[in-house]
Amino acid sequence: MTDVLPLAVSFEALTSMGFWLGVGVIAGAYTIFTLGLQLNVGFTGIYNFGQAGFMAVGAYSMAIFVTDTGINFWLALPLSMLITIAFGLIVGLPSLRLRADYFAIATIAASEAIRLTALNARDLTGGAQGIFGFGDSWESLQDTIEGWLMDLGWSDPDTLAPLFIVVWIVAIGLTFLLSRVQGTPWGRVLRAVREDEDAARALGKNAYSYKLQSLAISAALAAIAGFFLAINLAFVIPDEFGPTFTFVGYSMLVLGGLASYWGVAIGAIIFETLLEGLRFIDLPISEVKIAALRFIILGLILIGLMAFRPQGILGKREEMVLGD
Amino acid sequence: MTDPEGTAAAPAAPSGNGAKPIFEAQGVVKRFGGIRAVDGASMRVREGSITALIGPNGAGKTTFFNVITGFYRPDGGGATFEGRPVLGQTPYAIARRGMVRTFQITKALAAMPVIDNMMLAAPNQPGERLVNLIAHPREWRRRETEVHDQAMELLDVFDLSKLADTYAGHLSGGQRKLLELARALMTKPRFLLLDEPMAGINPTLGRRLLEHMQRLRTEAGVTFLFVEHDMEVVMGHSDRVVVMAQGRVIADGKPDEVRTDQAVIDAYLGGG
Amino acid sequence: MEAGTVAVERERPLERAREFARGHPAQAALVVLGAIVIALVAAKGLHDVAQLALTGLSTGSIYALGAVGLTLVYGILKLTNFAHGDFLAFGAYMAYVVNVSWGLPLVLGIAVAMFMTALLGVVLEKGMWGPMRARRAGVLQLILMSIGLALVIRYGIQYFAGTELRTLDVNNTDTIKFLGLTLGRTQAIVILIGFVTLLGTGVMLRYSLLGKRMRALSDNLDLAETAGIDTSRVILWTWVFAGAFAGLAGVLYGATTQLQPEMGFELLLPIFAAVVLGGIGDAFGALAGGILLGVVIEWSTMFVDAGWKSAVGFVVLILVLVIRPQGIFGKARTL
Repeated sequence: MTDVLPLAVSFEALTSMGFWLGVGVIAGAYTIFTLGLQLNVGFTGIYNFGQAGFMAVGAYSMAIFVTDTGINFWLALPLSMLITIAFGLIVGLPSLRLRADYFAIATIAASEAIRLTALNARDLTGGAQGIFGFGDSWESLQDTIEGWLMDLGWSDPDTLAPLFIVVWIVAIGLTFLLSRVQGTPWGRVLRAVREDEDAARALGKNAYSYKLQSLAISAALAAIAGFFLAINLAFVIPDEFGPTFTFVGYSMLVLGGLASYWGVAIGAIIFETLLEGLRFIDLPISEVKIAALRFIILGLILIGLMAFRPQGILGKREEMVLGD
Repeated sequence: MTDPEGTAAAPAAPSGNGAKPIFEAQGVVKRFGGIRAVDGASMRVREGSITALIGPNGAGKTTFFNVITGFYRPDGGGATFEGRPVLGQTPYAIARRGMVRTFQITKALAAMPVIDNMMLAAPNQPGERLVNLIAHPREWRRRETEVHDQAMELLDVFDLSKLADTYAGHLSGGQRKLLELARALMTKPRFLLLDEPMAGINPTLGRRLLEHMQRLRTEAGVTFLFVEHDMEVVMGHSDRVVVMAQGRVIADGKPDEVRTDQAVIDAYLGGG
Repeated sequence: MEAGTVAVERERPLERAREFARGHPAQAALVVLGAIVIALVAAKGLHDVAQLALTGLSTGSIYALGAVGLTLVYGILKLTNFAHGDFLAFGAYMAYVVNVSWGLPLVLGIAVAMFMTALLGVVLEKGMWGPMRARRAGVLQLILMSIGLALVIRYGIQYFAGTELRTLDVNNTDTIKFLGLTLGRTQAIVILIGFVTLLGTGVMLRYSLLGKRMRALSDNLDLAETAGIDTSRVILWTWVFAGAFAGLAGVLYGATTQLQPEMGFELLLPIFAAVVLGGIGDAFGALAGGILLGVVIEWSTMFVDAGWKSAVGFVVLILVLVIRPQGIFGKARTL
């Protein structure tokens, strides 16, 4: 940070565990979200800018299943994932044949269409007010985990601690899984598709099919991220799933480094810490201005990264897919 | 599960200049806007032969190449490979049938190591299907080892084995050409189409490539069709020469016949 | 289509029609449009159709002005500028400063908006796009940079101007009546300004030396360079036009509705749709695409709630990308 702004940070706020657990939960959700982006961009070469839309589908499906149809929460999760995967295929089937930047535009459009539907289809999605009241099953699990923590010696566990733990177990597990899959023949074809689609085709690989698979898996990951987000907020509203979420995800992606799954977590943690940490700047300016400032800084970081260190922290120069 | 597009029908007996055509094209047409880049090209490639496709600049050779290998959509005509229709199929389906092409500007997958380039090309790797990763882990691991060994053998033949772990992007131009050929061979093709294989490499390397081609034809019965500009190579090393000009095939015969063909001479003097 | 043989002579009339459409897209589009108009008039009556078309011309002119700039930049620099919508917002807010904060006539506000946005474009070209091109930056890098830029501009506006809705000092209540149709006075002015500007641009692109050079660069940048054209000057002028039109479009949009920091992103997708509809890289296409899109969106309100209007833009975008990605006037890809 520059020394131009007088920094006065509230010490209590800065050291509040509840706050940082909250940051950690969001960072974890972003990690899962961005793992999908990494699969798409870093390992398949498709620029999926509709990830927030898929996240919305996952979160809303879960919320609708639980509150409208009374399906058990734990069953609603895989069902919602299936629905999100279906959306991924619906979006991908027509648009994956397009050029890279057209595909990006198409996915943003799809994402916005989904958000608009969530906003307007009031009967189904609750409109701007959204849906709430789906968290009961989670709360039972949360209590159980709190019990375990107390058994382990933590006398007064923070309410967010269980969620934090679960999110990160899932995030790290998925990172590990994806890294392993990358080393398989399937992963190799994906890398070839990213490198040079025509070369892959000339060697008998159906590039289009692999891109579809990549998008579908990424959509599933977005759904999982959506579940955690929904649980964290205790409600789902359209505003939470706007394109800004995707842009932040991309910032984390490039910060951590393209073609590095472990870099995603690093990028997410750093970025989210920065973004939330900026809340504490006790400047003599209004809330609105501070909110705006955070995103100005985000934009500048994105520009700066692309200009000066496009491979981010863990990305390798050779793997840089950025130059074509 | 084997591809529905189908691997070829009965494998033909590998021989020298067999009379049976492995590939036939009839009246292939490709338009770009108002221009007919390929204007009704017909030709036959005999099984086990080494056929050269030549012609002056702008004759439509590379376009024809791209159309029959599925990289351009055809606007008319027909073609068969091993007796079954092939024109208009997707490039990957054509490649899986055993009709494989290389590129004039090599498409080495630069950000992947040489060995990965090679292993990628091997057919029938169940691990390339997502389901099999979980369902049949032993099968695909076994095939990986097989493929790895095959790849190293082939790299050895081309003197590239020491570079197995190098990123393909770090190879020299000539090495990349060899990699392109070696990689294509990993697919176990029956019909190999080379787009200007000699372009940009020194004569020694070129001669080695030609030796490999001859050997592959004799030992494995692979049929070759290559687009080439270098007349020495063409005349000295091919069984048959097909000449294109202005989008059509104007001559098709033995090198000596073609060299003295009036139409060919006119085409080169007039248009080239 | 059977694999293996492709029939050269297509006798069936459906195939013939498709061939015609492929070769003469503009005429085909007009035919389709005509059919749609007839169907709409039959269903909803001439008055509604005409009235909405008029409103659509107003929003369409704004989209067209935005689209021309975006497509010119893409055509020459192969840059998909995700920050273009925020150029419009920038222009609108510049006009606000002049027109409302300083109380000067709107005409002056328009001039300042166009000048400042053009300046913004030039500054960014010199400071950002030019250097990135020199470094051979890839598609993803440029896309992400433009997204970062979009965020900086949009939230920069929010920082200084806050999130509350603002209006320009225009007369939005007066209406003009003719032929039984009503049109807001401001909207009529928008259409007038829009058409005059677009006409002028069309003439400039076709007949002026700069216009010819711009089209040459759009066709093939490297070739134009070797032909001795001073590409950096042409590129700068491209940004000047793109910026100026964006600024103008932003003010016109603000004049007919309201100003808020998100207006940039809200406008970006319809502008993309217009560009894609007309054929990316084709300035005439962008003009046609913008106006067509504006009219179609207004017509859609006969069938769906107004809240879904933006969705119509997306639907058009997705349909075009699926059916004919090169747009009405663009050239088809080979595969």
